[in-house]
Amino acid sequence: MNLMMLSATLGERFYTAFFAERRYMLYLKGVGNTLLITVFALLLGIVIGLFVSLVRFTTKNKPGLRWAYHICQGYINLVRGTPVMVQILIFYNVIFSSSGIDPVFSAIACFGINSGAYVAEIFRAGIESVDSGQMEAARTLGLSYRTSMRSIVIPQAVKNILPTLGNEFISLLKETAIVGVISIVDITRASQLVSASSFDIFPPLMIISAIYLILVLGLSKMLNIFEKRMAGDNV
Amino acid sequence: MITVKHLTKKFKNNTVLDDISYTVRQGEKIVIVGPSGSGKSTFLRCLNLLEKPTSGKVFFHAEEITAPDTDIDSVRRRMGMVFQHFNLFPHFTVMKNLTFAPVQLKIMSTSEADEKAKELLMKVGLSDKANAYPKSLSGGQKQRIAIARALMMNPEVMLFDEPTSALDPEMVGEVLGLIEELAAEGMTMVVVTHEMGFAREVATKVLFMNEGKIVEENEPNAFFDRPQSERLQLFLARVL
Repeated sequence: MNLMMLSATLGERFYTAFFAERRYMLYLKGVGNTLLITVFALLLGIVIGLFVSLVRFTTKNKPGLRWAYHICQGYINLVRGTPVMVQILIFYNVIFSSSGIDPVFSAIACFGINSGAYVAEIFRAGIESVDSGQMEAARTLGLSYRTSMRSIVIPQAVKNILPTLGNEFISLLKETAIVGVISIVDITRASQLVSASSFDIFPPLMIISAIYLILVLGLSKMLNIFEKRMAGDNV
Repeated sequence: MITVKHLTKKFKNNTVLDDISYTVRQGEKIVIVGPSGSGKSTFLRCLNLLEKPTSGKVFFHAEEITAPDTDIDSVRRRMGMVFQHFNLFPHFTVMKNLTFAPVQLKIMSTSEADEKAKELLMKVGLSDKANAYPKSLSGGQKQRIAIARALMMNPEVMLFDEPTSALDPEMVGEVLGLIEELAAEGMTMVVVTHEMGFAREVATKVLFMNEGKIVEENEPNAFFDRPQSERLQLFLARVL
């Protein structure tokens, strides 16, 4: 009897936290913002990471361009050496403070620049994982550095890069949970708003945990299928 | 054909090649032997500038390839190289491994390259592997494909860097047999190897390298039967 009442209460609490007052719209908005920020930040991160790793590769052994190498290295150290929470506060409150720009844009820029440093490292490791004999064999056939890189080394590096890039996507999705501090309604912020208006903290937290879990597991599954297909043809 | 003048190579403070001068002539089969760490692979890799000499000059015909304005890619097209670890391109089929460079460099049309690749696959006895990927081949097969790939460019000279050192003993024969066949056809070659029988059989000259220098150089019979230097006598006593 008691148990039934308890479970009914729990059911009611979840109902209140999700369906009452169309609160699911809030979660939906949160999912939208979280995905928006994650996807565009990753795209920006890939562009920045590609650029940074290319600059680092081409300037590493050229004394005259050493400064460009050091700028890239400095950027990576700066991003990896400070908390994202601090970075996003700086972006919103300092860099974009007077521009009246949408905080979502601010978050995309921040996470994109943040992610770029990690993606640059992923690309570097991916390219270095290809045996140096591949480049040597290509060069001894008379192919240029550029052609050897593009047709021989990079296609092999991509196979090593994709799984790690997938992991970066997933960690980025979870890291964006802090964007509430610059008043963006993401998944996490949605739960805080619901608990504040319903005076109940437990159900919304369970609901967003489930949402994150579904997103992450779904993504992993998709990436797995994608990788299998990539690895399927050969190697 | 290849002339080396006062070639020195240092890695940090370690002198790997110490003031070497040597000339490889058209049609010669130079086999380089010596203990590991003697600099023989580094010497070979300096001939096509896979290693940049610290000082000294390398000439291919009359052209100084160590000059800063040399188009090294066009020089390398005329010098084939075969590696210890094959270095086939794993993401290409055997056929594409062979045809990629000549087609990419516009030396042959796709159909010319296909034709030539088929001929060479026949020559190395692997016609049935044209559409296979390298991972499905044995070590000996991989190395024969690697040789065919180098031959696609119609090189004037072939450089072999320990071509059988990574092979199972029973696969050594098929690869050495192919190299012997090339030698018999008149290909100029420089071979770094530990196969003394092969050196005696195929070489026109055998070089013994130790501590970055060419210690002794002779035609094969004299080299193996009447070694002059004490270091070579010791080396041969150990390996034969």
